[in-house]
Formats: sequence, structure tokens, C-alpha cells
Amino acid sequence: MNKNWKWIKVLLVFIGCFILQTTVGSWLQIFGAGPDFIIIMIVSIAIKFGPAAGCFWGFCAGFTQDVYAPVEWLGAHTVSMTILGFIVGQLEEKFLTLNQPAKVGVLGLGFFICDMIYFFMTGLEKEVVTNLFFSKTIPECIYTVVVGALVFHLSMAKKKKHV
Amino acid sequence: MLRAIRFILNLFSKRHGIVAFVFFLLLGLMMHRAPTVTRESIVSAALGTVFYPAQMVISSLNAYRSVVSENEQLKEENAKLRQETYYASEGLQELARLHTLVRFDDKWDYPIVTARVVGHNPGRFLTTIIINRGTSHGVKENMPVFSMDGLVGKVTKAALTHSRVQLLVDPNLKLSVLERRTRVVGFLESVDGHLLSAQIPTHAGVQVGDTLITSGLGGIFPKGIPVGTVKEIRSADLEVMRMMDVAPFQVFSKLEEVFVMEKEPEWIIQELLDE
Repeated sequence: MNKNWKWIKVLLVFIGCFILQTTVGSWLQIFGAGPDFIIIMIVSIAIKFGPAAGCFWGFCAGFTQDVYAPVEWLGAHTVSMTILGFIVGQLEEKFLTLNQPAKVGVLGLGFFICDMIYFFMTGLEKEVVTNLFFSKTIPECIYTVVVGALVFHLSMAKKKKHV
Repeated sequence: MLRAIRFILNLFSKRHGIVAFVFFLLLGLMMHRAPTVTRESIVSAALGTVFYPAQMVISSLNAYRSVVSENEQLKEENAKLRQETYYASEGLQELARLHTLVRFDDKWDYPIVTARVVGHNPGRFLTTIIINRGTSHGVKENMPVFSMDGLVGKVTKAALTHSRVQLLVDPNLKLSVLERRTRVVGFLESVDGHLLSAQIPTHAGVQVGDTLITSGLGGIFPKGIPVGTVKEIRSADLEVMRMMDVAPFQVFSKLEEVFVMEKEPEWIIQELLDE
């Protein structure tokens, strides 16, 4: 029962994140750059539940994004987010005491890895990728890291209070 | 049955999730490498069964919240429009008489289907939206979609109750445009799924701030729908053409209602598309 409840809780967080991304995500945009709640969610899940859960929810989140992307790029988000979930889960397993700054660092690193794999999968030209890297990846990574730090801090504070 | 499920779950969670990782990675790669027809059917199946119903619920909640303020706004607009209708109908009658005189074909005389945006890409690259109108409402593939501000894109897949709209920023959508001031035809596309760029002959002397409209030459979009304004002019690889960044009239992430023009592609274009 407890295990089932965990699954339902993660599923609700997953749906909530997508609602957040499609509503609040666009309101929070500054100069066209907004935070990526989906990546924050995958990193959080992978840190909390390990690599298997990380790559499963990464796969689900990536596929959801791929459905609305150009058909030619189907699978690009799926692969990049599956890898992200797995790598973050592995890092958590290998370095069991991931403290808050480390989590934020992993989030930033994960964002870059995810984008690089995505650009590689889509087969975009080098010039276009460079342009996207500076106009999208860097500002959105910084924004996501800031929002992620806040999310991690809040969840940590909640946990402490609970304890 | 339960044993089998438990066995699979154990297999996936053991060995630090490597089995799960390899499985999901292969699945993703297979999707990426699949033929276009297979990819289309994967996307259509996922949209029709899971994503469309879910986003329909979310969209309904959003719509309910904005209905009150929208109602007030519409009442005011209605009063203004009633006043203008009289003058407009007079003008239209005059225009119709003139059209008959010069045998001008009114390209905009198509029925319009109003649709609500019920879903869009939750990711950062917004290239597709889902609308709540499908073949049962007369929507077909390759029909132009626009809003009060200008061109939005075209219908790429029409199901019974919903359709998928390819936005102007989709790298696969390329269209012929006309610069309103100089009347020179150019070519608009998005290479990165994020920004719009146009190529227009250098001799036209297009300047920053000029407006681009659809040229009507592609056979899908009628002539005269506003597309965007020239934001920055860059040199292209070919000196005869100028590459320019275009700022669309639309904020695609904030689209709520759109209009589908029930205009089917001209027969020659349709044949090419079918091929």
C-alpha cells in the first residue's frame, strides 16, 4: 500500500509539473527564457528514488514533450531525459550524501547534458546549435538552477520541520 | 500474473537500474530511427488516447477562470462592433460591386471554424499546438490557421474531435511571403524551432520594421495574412538574397483561440502533398 501510494504521489507530482510548465512556465519568462520545471522534477525524482525511477520518469517526461515536437525529432527528448534521469540517479547512488549545493550543481550539469544530447539527436546545424546554446541553453539553465535551488531548499525545510 | 509483474519490476530495479536504462534508451532510439509513418502513428495514438483528454481537462479549468473577464470584454466589444457593422456592410456592398466590375476573385471568402487551444508542447521548443476542432467540424489537413494577430500555422493532422497545428516556428514549415511595402516575394522558415528568418532579394531594399504577409503562392495560405515584421537584417550566403530575422505578430505560447480557414490546398498542391 505504502509503495503504491509512493507511485501515485510521484505520478501526481509528474502531472503537476506539466501543468506548471504549460501555465506558470510561460508567465515566468524573462526575455523569452523560462525555468524548466520538468528537468527539476526528473532530477528530484532521480535523487530521491535512484536511477531506475529516474530513467523511467525521464522517459515518460521526454516522450510527453516529443509528442508535441516535430515528428522528425521524435525520440530526441525521450533519449536525452532518460539519460539525464539515469546519470543523476547514479550520481546519487555513488555519492550518497548529495547536499543541497551538490544537488543544485547536478541540476545545472544535468540541464547541459540534456540539451547537448537533444541537439545531437535533432541533427541541427552547428551554427544553429551555437546560437541556441547562447540564446536558450545558458539563460534557461541559470533560471532553472535558481528555481531548482528554491525548490530543493523548500523541500529540505519541509523535511526538517517534519523530522 | 503478480509474480510476473514483480519479476519484471525486480529486474528493472536491480543492478542500479541498468536494465531499465538500456530498455528505455533502446525504446527512445527505436522511436527516433523509425520511419516517418510509424512515428506519425505513435504520436497520433499517444495524442488521441492520453494527452488530448488530459490536456482538455486542464484547458477547461483555465478557460473557466478566464470566462468572466472575457465576457465583460466581449460585451464592450459587441457594442462597438454593432455600431461598426452598419458602416462595414455599406462598405462591403460597395466593394462587392467593385469586385464584380473588375472580375476580382475574393480569396478570403472561406468559412471559418473557431477553435480553442487545448494543448501545447510542455517543453521549451513550442512548435505544435492541439486544437479542439477536428474532421467532425470540417477541419482537414493543410488548412491555414490564424488568429486576430495574424498567421499561426497550418493543420498537419486532423482527428475526429481534435487537430494538430504546425506553428510557423516549426522547422518543417516553410512558406512564401510578400513584403507589404516593396511587394517583393521572399521565403520564410525557422531553422531552429525558435526564431523565424526570411530570405528576400537584396534589390528589394527591405528595411527593419517592414511587414511580411503571406504571398498566396504556396497554394496553402491565402494572400494577405500578416506574418510578422523584420527585426534585423543580416547578409546571406548568397549576395542576391538578404537573410533577416522576423518577429512574428503572435506570441505562440499565449495563444488561446485560433481560427481555421476552411480552405483546402489548390489541386496541384494537393497532388504534390499526396505524393
